[in-house]
Amino acid sequence: MRRRPNYPAGLGSLVWLFLVGLPLYVLLISTFRTTSNYSSQGPLTFPSQLTLQNYLNDFSNGFGQDFLNTLIVTVSVVAIVLLVVPPLAYAIVRARGRRITIVFRVFLLGLAIPAQAVIVPMFYVISQAGLYDHLIGIILPTAAFCLPVCTLVLTGSMRDITPDLYEAMAMDGASPWRVFLQLVLPLSRGGLSSVVVFAALQAWNGFLFPLILTQSDSTKVITLGLYNFQTEHGVDVPGLLSAVVLSMLPIFIVYLFARRALVQGLMGVGGK
Amino acid sequence: MSPLSFAAVSGRLKARRAGVGVTRPGFAWAVPATVFFLLFAILPLVLVAVLSFTSWDGIAAPRFNGLANWTKLIHDPVMIQSLWLTLLLTALGVLTQTPISILLGVWAAGHQRNRAVLSAVFFVPLLLSATAVSVVWRAILDPNFGVPSQLTWLFGNGNLLGNQSGSIAVLTFVGLWQFTPLHALIYQGGARAVPQVLYQAAAIDGAGTVRQFFHITLPQLRNTMITSMILMVVGGLTTFDTVLILTQGGPGTDTTVSAYYMYRKAFLSFDFGAGSAIALVLVLVATLISLAVVRLSGYDKMRSTAEGI
Amino acid sequence: MESPLTSVRTGASRNRFAAIAATTALVLGLTAACGSSGGGSSSSADSGTIHVLVYGDAGNTVEKQIVDTFNKSSKVKAVLDTIPGADYQAKLNTIINTPQAPDIFFNWGGGSIQPYVKDGLLLPLDDMIAKDPGLKSNFLPSVFNTAVVDGKSYGVPMRGTQPVLLFDNKKVLAAAGLSVPQTWDDLVNDVKVLKAKGLTPIALGGGDQWPTLMWFEYMYDRIAGPELFQKALSGDKTAWASPDSQKALGMLKQLIDAGAFGSNFDSVKFTDGGSPALLAKGKAAFELMGSWEYSTQQTANPDFTRTDLGYSAFPTVSGGKGDPTNVVGNTNNFYSVLKKTQHPDAVAAFLKLMYSDAFVKAQLAIGNLPTTTNTANFLATSANPDYSQFQFNLVKAAPSFQLSWDQAYPPAATTPIHTAVQEFFDGKTDANGFIQAMQSLSNS
Repeated sequence: MRRRPNYPAGLGSLVWLFLVGLPLYVLLISTFRTTSNYSSQGPLTFPSQLTLQNYLNDFSNGFGQDFLNTLIVTVSVVAIVLLVVPPLAYAIVRARGRRITIVFRVFLLGLAIPAQAVIVPMFYVISQAGLYDHLIGIILPTAAFCLPVCTLVLTGSMRDITPDLYEAMAMDGASPWRVFLQLVLPLSRGGLSSVVVFAALQAWNGFLFPLILTQSDSTKVITLGLYNFQTEHGVDVPGLLSAVVLSMLPIFIVYLFARRALVQGLMGVGGK
Repeated sequence: MSPLSFAAVSGRLKARRAGVGVTRPGFAWAVPATVFFLLFAILPLVLVAVLSFTSWDGIAAPRFNGLANWTKLIHDPVMIQSLWLTLLLTALGVLTQTPISILLGVWAAGHQRNRAVLSAVFFVPLLLSATAVSVVWRAILDPNFGVPSQLTWLFGNGNLLGNQSGSIAVLTFVGLWQFTPLHALIYQGGARAVPQVLYQAAAIDGAGTVRQFFHITLPQLRNTMITSMILMVVGGLTTFDTVLILTQGGPGTDTTVSAYYMYRKAFLSFDFGAGSAIALVLVLVATLISLAVVRLSGYDKMRSTAEGI
Repeated sequence: MESPLTSVRTGASRNRFAAIAATTALVLGLTAACGSSGGGSSSSADSGTIHVLVYGDAGNTVEKQIVDTFNKSSKVKAVLDTIPGADYQAKLNTIINTPQAPDIFFNWGGGSIQPYVKDGLLLPLDDMIAKDPGLKSNFLPSVFNTAVVDGKSYGVPMRGTQPVLLFDNKKVLAAAGLSVPQTWDDLVNDVKVLKAKGLTPIALGGGDQWPTLMWFEYMYDRIAGPELFQKALSGDKTAWASPDSQKALGMLKQLIDAGAFGSNFDSVKFTDGGSPALLAKGKAAFELMGSWEYSTQQTANPDFTRTDLGYSAFPTVSGGKGDPTNVVGNTNNFYSVLKKTQHPDAVAAFLKLMYSDAFVKAQLAIGNLPTTTNTANFLATSANPDYSQFQFNLVKAAPSFQLSWDQAYPPAATTPIHTAVQEFFDGKTDANGFIQAMQSLSNS
């Protein structure tokens, strides 16, 4: 029944394991070094003494507030994306007509817009809306810039729902609304979890929008907090990396859960 | 909910017109996302287009200067070079990331023991911010204290970031490291969706794993491949963070890609007019390429793999 | 690297960028939107507050303390705003001509304020100085002059001076039987000896680009004197092609070709600790770096700093026109004042604190070296009295303190300068290429 193991891919994955493992080792082990140990022993050797000081410093440095802000931004961005992208993707895959093709092309064009390119006019839009230095001012543009990729991924996933399933629903006289809820959404769970992961990552690691569109401590997100480890002429590498690890943990947990949902969703399609 | 009822009505109309007994959603389903997107992405882009015809240092009011920014750009050797570099890095990205992500994705879609744990580790690079990725790789590639000092037979004097080919290789490699997980994830989804029946049939015909991979898995991943490649192309064209932190466009201007050049013009030299013009060029190039990919593959015409209209 | 963990962030004013709206609105002819947007509290509209904008990093503890001191005795209250370091200049530039601009802001003097002076945004401080001559006379002249543009004073020094020094590893020099180089010929000879021992004679964080620039700044100053650069900066581009310029480049080229910096310096950075580690671990004998090298080494390599870190002035160059006691580097950071401030008297009172005893002591305690004349009285209280004394004497005695080229030119020239020095060092361009690159810089 089951496919046999794929040996070439398995071999490749071993090589990849090393390539991924080495930097992760460097990343993790550096966070337990003192600055002087990092300098004297270099990034690769196992440190002669370990310290938790870097992590303790992070917390005494306002990490909690930053964390909360980042969480609010991330959850909101994911919520917006989940609210607007599935109907859009459904329309792109199933609706007919010139307008929907144009919309799809607009979103493809959106893929190609680097955030840096629009940052100056983005001030204009956000401050006109009176949203400058409010978390919502980060949330909206971040979500907007997630849309193209999420749409692309989700339409890809919805395209794999076979037409006979739609026909079966149609024979029952189902409205598009019911088709959407009972067929499209359940069968694109895989795509949806990819979308959640992607949007969450974009929001969590977002740097440029928060930098330009906020100012106060009360709206500071984690990525801006990483600046605490840079001075005009240098950077505290262990301090920076420990903050990176801390900021990564929550999203890693989200990812683990989303991965499970992702696999299950895909199994549902594959099994039919 | 008027949009929805409108959607329902129009969907039914569409279905009747199409002469198929299938209900289709109407255009209204696309409206919320589209309006949102127009407001927060397309509108700023239009403003960028306006700014590209002005001279603006960010302090005094912008002044229209006609095509001055554009004529300067056309004759700017760094700009021309940056476009080539961007295309080169993009091509290298697609060529290196595609095969590895397919292999990894297909592997992760299988049922090996330990797969869940291992693939969780594999995908960690996806979670790291570009700052972290760049700092860690710089530490590893440090010519005096990092890996190159241990493997001199491979790295020579370790001056990876001191010449163009070395810097491009490092950027390609770090991009590969950073973005392969995302694409592997996409391929994993695609591979999972391949009907098992096909493999069973092939197994009965006596096809081995390798033949199954080339004759079933790859062709079935066609849609996935297009999605992934568009993402790679666009990601490659807008490469910025890693250049900023790893090479700062150097040595000299050897890795000054267009997105970085735009940043340099706008935010380091405060020439927002020129910066906007470069941004617009980038957007145009990226759009043309992704439209070309979509056209060539007929992706925007397809409704689903099987329907294939 | 001072411990950035002590960094204090303070609340910053809201809606700073709302005013961007106004500017962009003009472009689009949407002038009606002007002024109605944002709706936040702008600094100048608030009666009774002055906003002080500084570079966000470890030094903020002192700035916070000074603001508190000021607020105790003043009716007009000061509010400290910070911008995360690396993007300071970019963000400052975006807000400076908006209603949300600060009253007083941190800068590097020289080219960093020149565009604002040109646009008439800054308040010349000469009237304030006329009322309180101490605002000028209490600072070392070579430092104070950095913020003089077109004969008018626009800034008051507000942190520490950062001259560029030649640091060395005493142990490595002793093992090679060498002493600290007094002249250029000594240095060239040391390079030869060290090279033969298989060491990288001089550590260079070429990946950051600005450490490379320091070599040009000193060579040009020693060989041609500060006049050549001043001439070039004022728009006379022939200066770059002069025989002195050619000579400086030729000598640098000799040093590079002698392998003084090794072959992989462009892959090494100062900012991530790469080049300081070369020096500390004895893989290199020298590093030319700003005075912050000391605190960087103290954090990263405390033992080395205590026993083996040496420092000296840049060697003299025989036949050079420049005074051998000249220094280059970051003269200091400055507070400049916006013309539109509503409280010039409060601003003047605030600036006076920059030469107060409390200010000097606080700066010395966090490792900065203020450039006030009364600094000398407190050097003993510094974290490293000998080191502070050495620097202070050096700066005080220097007839000329040349601001780093990338700070002396307006911000637009920074990247082209960095590119030019990097390409010259890695051999991609020759002297002529470098001269052309420098000639193509815009000085305004």
